Amino acid sequence: MELIDILNYSVAFFTIYTTVFFLLLFFKYKKDYYTTPKWSGNTPLVSIVIPAYNEEKYLKKCLDSILTLDYPREKLDVIVVDDGSTDRTATVAKEYEKYGVRVFSKKNGGKGAALNYGIERARGEFIATMDADSYVTPKVLKELLPYFEDHEVMAVTPAVKIAPSNSVIREFQRIEYLMILFSRKLLSYLDAVPVTPGPFSIFRASIFKEIGGFDEHNLVEDQEIAMRIQQHNYKIRSSVSDDSTVYTEPPDNMGDLLRQRVRWQRGGIRNYWRYKFMIKPEFGNYGMFFIPLNFATLSAFFIVLGLLLNAIFNNPFYTRYILLESVVMSFNMFTVIGVFVLLMSFVWLYAAVSSFKSERIKLRYILLFMIFYWYLMVCYNVLMAVAEIRREKTSW
Amino acid sequence: MERTIAWSLYVAAFVIAVVVFIAGVYVGTILDKSDIQTLSKEVESLSQDLATMQLLYLIDDNSSAFCPLYESELSSIEEKREKLGYELTFLEDKRKIEAPELKKQYFILEAQSYFISKKLKESCNDKTIIVLYFYSNKNCTDCGRQGVDILSARDTVATRNIKVRIYSFDGEIGSQVAEGFMRQFAVSQYPTTVINGDVYSGYISKDELIEKFSK
Repeated sequence: MELIDILNYSVAFFTIYTTVFFLLLFFKYKKDYYTTPKWSGNTPLVSIVIPAYNEEKYLKKCLDSILTLDYPREKLDVIVVDDGSTDRTATVAKEYEKYGVRVFSKKNGGKGAALNYGIERARGEFIATMDADSYVTPKVLKELLPYFEDHEVMAVTPAVKIAPSNSVIREFQRIEYLMILFSRKLLSYLDAVPVTPGPFSIFRASIFKEIGGFDEHNLVEDQEIAMRIQQHNYKIRSSVSDDSTVYTEPPDNMGDLLRQRVRWQRGGIRNYWRYKFMIKPEFGNYGMFFIPLNFATLSAFFIVLGLLLNAIFNNPFYTRYILLESVVMSFNMFTVIGVFVLLMSFVWLYAAVSSFKSERIKLRYILLFMIFYWYLMVCYNVLMAVAEIRREKTSW
Repeated sequence: MERTIAWSLYVAAFVIAVVVFIAGVYVGTILDKSDIQTLSKEVESLSQDLATMQLLYLIDDNSSAFCPLYESELSSIEEKREKLGYELTFLEDKRKIEAPELKKQYFILEAQSYFISKKLKESCNDKTIIVLYFYSNKNCTDCGRQGVDILSARDTVATRNIKVRIYSFDGEIGSQVAEGFMRQFAVSQYPTTVINGDVYSGYISKDELIEKFSK
C-alpha cells in the first residue's frame, strides 16, 4: 500500500469514527438532552457585563431584552463598558442609567480588557457576560442559574442562536450555530465544553478571583477562559432548552463574516497549541479526546487538501483524451469511502439541526449549507488563519 | 471534579466505524469489478467491429473504390480502440487495478487494427504514419516520458494535417502478439519505437519524433 492510500484510508476512518462517536453520544444522552435542573426559587445577585465597541445599532435591543428578564430587577446589576466607541454607543447606554444600568467609559483596549473592567466593578455572586449585538429571552436566567447548585460548576452556557430570516447566508449561519450548540451540549456530557460564548455565558464570580479574568491579548478570549476553567478541573455546563435561548446578530456581510471566522480559527489554533499540555489522562475526555481531536482535524484538513490537489494536478497526460471517462472511472474505492464520509457528515448535521424541535430549517438549506458553505468556509478559514498566524494582531 | 474517560463509548464507536469502513471498502471493490466488466464489453464490441471490417476486405479485395469507406470505418474503430487503451492505462496507472487478460485481448485488437491500417496504407495510398511503441511498466525508467512525448508529438503534427496512428504494446505481460511483433522488429530494449517500419531503440525526444513524423 502506498503512502497516498494510507493517507486516504486514515482520513476516511478518522471522519467516520468521529461522526459515529458523536452520534453515539447523542443517542446515549438523548433523554437528558433538553432537561435542565429545576429552579429552587433562589434569586442571587447577578451582574451582567456588556462590553461595547461601536454598538449603537444593537445596544438598545440588547438592554431592552435584559430589562425584561423574568428575574427580580433589584437582583440584576447591569454594567455597560463603553470601550472607547467612536459612535453613539455611550449616549445610548446612558439613556438606561435611569433604570439602574451602570455605564463606564474607558479607552479602547479590546473585548477582554473591557470584560475585565466590568468584572472588577461587578457586585453579583454570578456574572453574565453579554455581547451588545445579542439579546436574551425572558426566562434565560431562571433556566441557567440552577446549574450552579452543583458547586463544581463554574460556568453555564446558553443556547446561542440566530433568529430565522429570509436571507440564505443568514440561514447558513443559523444552521452553523445550531451545529455548534449541538456539539457543545454533547461535549458537556464528557466534561469537555470548549467555549463559554460571549452572549450570556454565566460564571460563578469567585472563579475570576481563582483563575484570573479574561486573557486581554487573546483573539477568542471566550474560548481561552473555558480552557482555563477546564485546566482547573471545574465543570462547565451547557443548555439547549428553548427557554435558555439567546439570539445573536451574525455579521452583516460576507467580508465581516469571513474576518470573524478567520479570527476564531486563528485564535482557536493558538489556544489549542497553548493548552496542549492538557493532553494527559488526568484531564479526562477533554485532555485525551477533545484537544487531540482538534489537532487531528487540522491535520486531516491538510491531508485532504493535499490529496485533492494531487488528484487535480497529477493526472496523466493521456487523460485529456478521455476526460469524461477518467472522471467516471475515478469513482473508485476511495470515492466510495468518501461518499460514506459525506453521508455520515450529513447524518450528523441533520441530527444536530433536527435535535432542536422548535427550529425549523428547510432540508435544501441543510444540503446547500453542507455543499457550499461548510467545507468551503472551513477551507478558507483554515488557510487564511494559518497564513495570518505569524501576525500577533489582537483586536475585536 | 474527578475526571473520567468514556472508554466504552470510544470502543463502541471504533467497532461501528470499522464496520462502516469495511462496508465502504466492499462496495468499492464491487465498483472496481464492474469497471473491468464494462471494459470487457468494450473489447468485445471492438472485436466485432474489427472482424466485420476484415470480412469486408475479403469481399472487396483490392478494390480502391471502397477506400473512403474503409478509411472512415477504420477512423471510427481507431477512435474507440484508442479510448479503450487509455481507459485500460488509467485503470492500471491511477487505480492500480491490474487486468492482464484484458490487456492481452486489447493487444490482439491492436494487432488486428495495425494490419488493417497497413493494408489500407498499401491498397488505398493512405499517408497515415503507423507507429508501434514497445514499453514496460516494470523495467523502464524512460517509458512514461516516451509515451507522453509520442502523444504530444502526434498532437503537434496533427495541426499540420499529418495523421499518426499509435499502437503501443507492453512487452512484459506475456502477450504472444506483443512478443511476436518484438521478434519481427528485433526489439531488445524499452522503450522502442517503430515508425513506418523503421526501428528506433531507446528514448526519442518530442522534437525528434516531430521531425520523423514530418518526413
